[in-house]
Amino acid sequence: MTAYDLALQQLINGFSLGSMYALLALGFTLVYGILELINFSHFNVFMVGSFVAFYVLEGFGVVGQNTIMTGLPLVGVLLAALAVTMLVTGGIGVGIERLLLRPLRAVKGPAAMILTIGVSYVLFNIVILGAGADSKNFPNPLPPIVFTFENAVLRMREILIWVISLLLMGGLTYFVGYTKLGKAMRATAQDPEAARMMGIDVDRVIMMAFFLGSALAGAGGMIFGLYYNYTSFIIGFSAGLRAFTAAVLGGIGNVPGAMLGGLLIGLIEAYSGAFIATAWTDVIIFSLLVLVLVFRPNGLLGRMAPNKS
Amino acid sequence: MYSATKQVLARPFANMQPQSRQALGLLVLAAALLLFPFYHANDADIASMANAAAYVTLALGLNIVVGFAGLLDLGYAAFFAIGVYFYGVLTAYQVMPEWSGYWGPLAAMGLVEKINQGGPDLVHFTLSFWLALPAAALVTAAFGVLFGAPTLRLRGDYLAIVTLGFGEIVPIVFRNADSVTNGAAGLNGVASPTLFGFDFGVDATPYYYVGLFLVALLIYVSIRLRDGRVGRAWMAIREDETAASTMGVDLVKYKLLAFAIGAGFAGMTGVYYVAILQTATPDMFNFNVSAMLLVMVVLGGMGSVWGVVLGAFLLQIMQSWLLPDLNWALHGIGAAVGNDWLQTVDMVKTTQLIFGLILVFMMLFRREGLIPATRKTPPLDMQQQAAQVQRGGFVGMEKIGHWELRSGNALEVKDVTVKFGGLTALNKINIVVPEGGVVAVIGPNGSGKSTLFNVITGLVRADGGSILFQGAELLGLAPHTILEKGVARTFQNIRLFPNLTVLENVLIGQHARLKTGPIGAVLQSPAGKAEEKRARQWAVDIIGLFGNRLTPRLGQTVLGLSYANRRRVEIARALASQPKILLLDEPTAGMNPNETLELAEQIKSLHELGLTILLIEHKLDVVTRLAQNVIVLDHGEKIAEGPADVVRQDEEVLRAYLGRAGRDHVAAMAAKAAEAAAAEGPGHA
Repeated sequence: MTAYDLALQQLINGFSLGSMYALLALGFTLVYGILELINFSHFNVFMVGSFVAFYVLEGFGVVGQNTIMTGLPLVGVLLAALAVTMLVTGGIGVGIERLLLRPLRAVKGPAAMILTIGVSYVLFNIVILGAGADSKNFPNPLPPIVFTFENAVLRMREILIWVISLLLMGGLTYFVGYTKLGKAMRATAQDPEAARMMGIDVDRVIMMAFFLGSALAGAGGMIFGLYYNYTSFIIGFSAGLRAFTAAVLGGIGNVPGAMLGGLLIGLIEAYSGAFIATAWTDVIIFSLLVLVLVFRPNGLLGRMAPNKS
Repeated sequence: MYSATKQVLARPFANMQPQSRQALGLLVLAAALLLFPFYHANDADIASMANAAAYVTLALGLNIVVGFAGLLDLGYAAFFAIGVYFYGVLTAYQVMPEWSGYWGPLAAMGLVEKINQGGPDLVHFTLSFWLALPAAALVTAAFGVLFGAPTLRLRGDYLAIVTLGFGEIVPIVFRNADSVTNGAAGLNGVASPTLFGFDFGVDATPYYYVGLFLVALLIYVSIRLRDGRVGRAWMAIREDETAASTMGVDLVKYKLLAFAIGAGFAGMTGVYYVAILQTATPDMFNFNVSAMLLVMVVLGGMGSVWGVVLGAFLLQIMQSWLLPDLNWALHGIGAAVGNDWLQTVDMVKTTQLIFGLILVFMMLFRREGLIPATRKTPPLDMQQQAAQVQRGGFVGMEKIGHWELRSGNALEVKDVTVKFGGLTALNKINIVVPEGGVVAVIGPNGSGKSTLFNVITGLVRADGGSILFQGAELLGLAPHTILEKGVARTFQNIRLFPNLTVLENVLIGQHARLKTGPIGAVLQSPAGKAEEKRARQWAVDIIGLFGNRLTPRLGQTVLGLSYANRRRVEIARALASQPKILLLDEPTAGMNPNETLELAEQIKSLHELGLTILLIEHKLDVVTRLAQNVIVLDHGEKIAEGPADVVRQDEEVLRAYLGRAGRDHVAAMAAKAAEAAAAEGPGHA
């Protein structure tokens, strides 16, 4: 493989990883935009999503990479797995908000953030205790069709990942930009107090932000499994940190920013892994995070919500 | 039952002073711990205790950063790792450069030795454990500054994520730098300490005593820092950064100091920890360690030294004793009832689940931790609560002396412009405050009054102009430097340090006038002790100016004070800094007429002592009573200036406050009043 081929291949890989990070970053950005809270439980909501997708696919009889489906059954199984995963993780997100975070909303300081670290730990350990600490062979029912460009390969799974991500991100953009609840969400991000006085049900908006963010994280978890062919209790931490970096890079609170940031982080990961060394990928990404925070804290596209401190 | 038992047990100690009771308790605890290996000669348990000691010291270090200074550090394990690798690399057989004569002097000092493993002579580092403890503290403190520096400007939650990133980077670097660290396989054969020829070896007892010593040392250091000027500065930053900087706390310096000292604790612990294990891999320092330490601090109580010790100890005991014992019990029950699951269940695996649950439940139900850092003070009785209204100014003013008289202008604001985006908040404003004078700034809401204060005290940058205080330029200086020069202020929307007591709030006002640094605080130098005593007396005297309004409430947190009392504390805090000019931003806002009158007279008495005052005030009777000169701002422009009664009649001022119709109305009323007065004849004003 020449460097050119490698670059092309990593472009494909980077876009797939990037879509996953983008979906995950959207959850950070939706919640941060409104509550100014770094939601650490998001890391493992993503991981749980990956496990839900795993069990649903296995429930349909898809095991490992050997069960190949085509046509309507394939579409049906994938759609069902995606829908169930997103509903379950969305529900977990709403539960965390409603039961644990809402009582703390009036509390100043780091209490809410520390609580989300705790929730993240609980989710993490529930999965270890329930599903075991071994990594799972993630089912993939896609037919092994491969397109080649030069020496770079484009498999069905990449196309699927791109289609899912595009649809979800398009849907979210439409929702935030053009629906009544979306407008309420943007208003709440600007000023919750004023939004409440204008008759917006702020509690409902916040719950919606958690639902959407967590549902997207669930989709991201399923994509992780499809991309890497495995899932494990441990995947939330580094993917979560990278996605958070993506949200900050794009401008936290900014929906298009999270998508752009996600894609950039995916590309950076793919290229630094191929051309520098995988062992240093995390160092590169975290250094980028520190640099962005120090020199351009509003990110590439700027913060959409004002600083409410 | 509990209270009855407590009463019986407490009876012999009932007549002791609380201090001596505490001292006795500590003594008993210390004796129990010192004798532990004798009455419980189980090497595994002593090893668990030695291990627990390491986590107690780590938690104490994290408590300095998170609990005292309020900087949420989620990558604290990185400093622990640096300490471990510092000692590990310099004693194990990892890095062995070729021997040359240059190593001779170091060999003479016992830091290296010449070895031969077949082939050329090599250098083997043999850093002494006892030397490594302080050296590692210094090295990790330097890393604390290095990692802290880029994060200083970040808001609290971003700080958390950046430190989390650093916490990930450090172990990765150790893993990848395998020529120095032996990579993922880890350090091997780290030397055990020796003392006067006695090798510690693998027996747990000597380590236990070293651990005990470290715990005692770091508890002492923590308490000394907490109870002095440094600790107060940290807590001020934790409570309100902006207020802390305007009260003279150098934010950069004190945040870095917290990072450095916290990191130093971790570095020292790292040396101790790796000396016990004699091996270390990069994976031992992942996020789980940082998170566990956070759980310890949260469980015990953020900012509470004894709480953190207890939290760390409890969690360690839970892991090494409680859960294994529980296993044993459950397995026994399982065998008895023939339940397979009970026979094989491993409770130790639930450790991290328990950590997560502790974080969640503590945050929901007991955020202050098991032993809260601030104790609740008993409520005042009715007599203490009854305010004796003070008329005629402050009481006990002889205690605070008077200000030296100077001539000329104290403050000169020249052509100062401040813009926020497209909005011009102040447009070429000129204000002069003469030495010893009282100048009031009035104007409708949004006219730029508070922005004027913010630009003078360095919280807002000016877009042009100059501000001279006693001839020296203030623009471009940091808020704490401006306070050091003698410019103190209060805030319109009171900015006290809510979880600190009245006394502590006022003591922080003196920060810039005191000198004791961290070393002085720890060593308890006579000069430092005398300074602290003077500072407390000065704070009590200042608080005493308000009669019995604040004095009975010295030990209460300001959170529970009435609105008017909080305003008084804020003024006391500013006065404690021995200002040369006092900037009061609506000091009587929210006070009833009696309180307003009381405070106005108190401000007047400060003026009579020679203090220069710049005042923002809405209540015109207060302004008339106090100010020699009144400046009126509107939409960022100075629209009038002069004595109060002149300004009150000014056309522009009336228009700004009342609008055109209002001005006409007032003019008509005035004309009517004048007519009536003329009709009644002279004598009525």
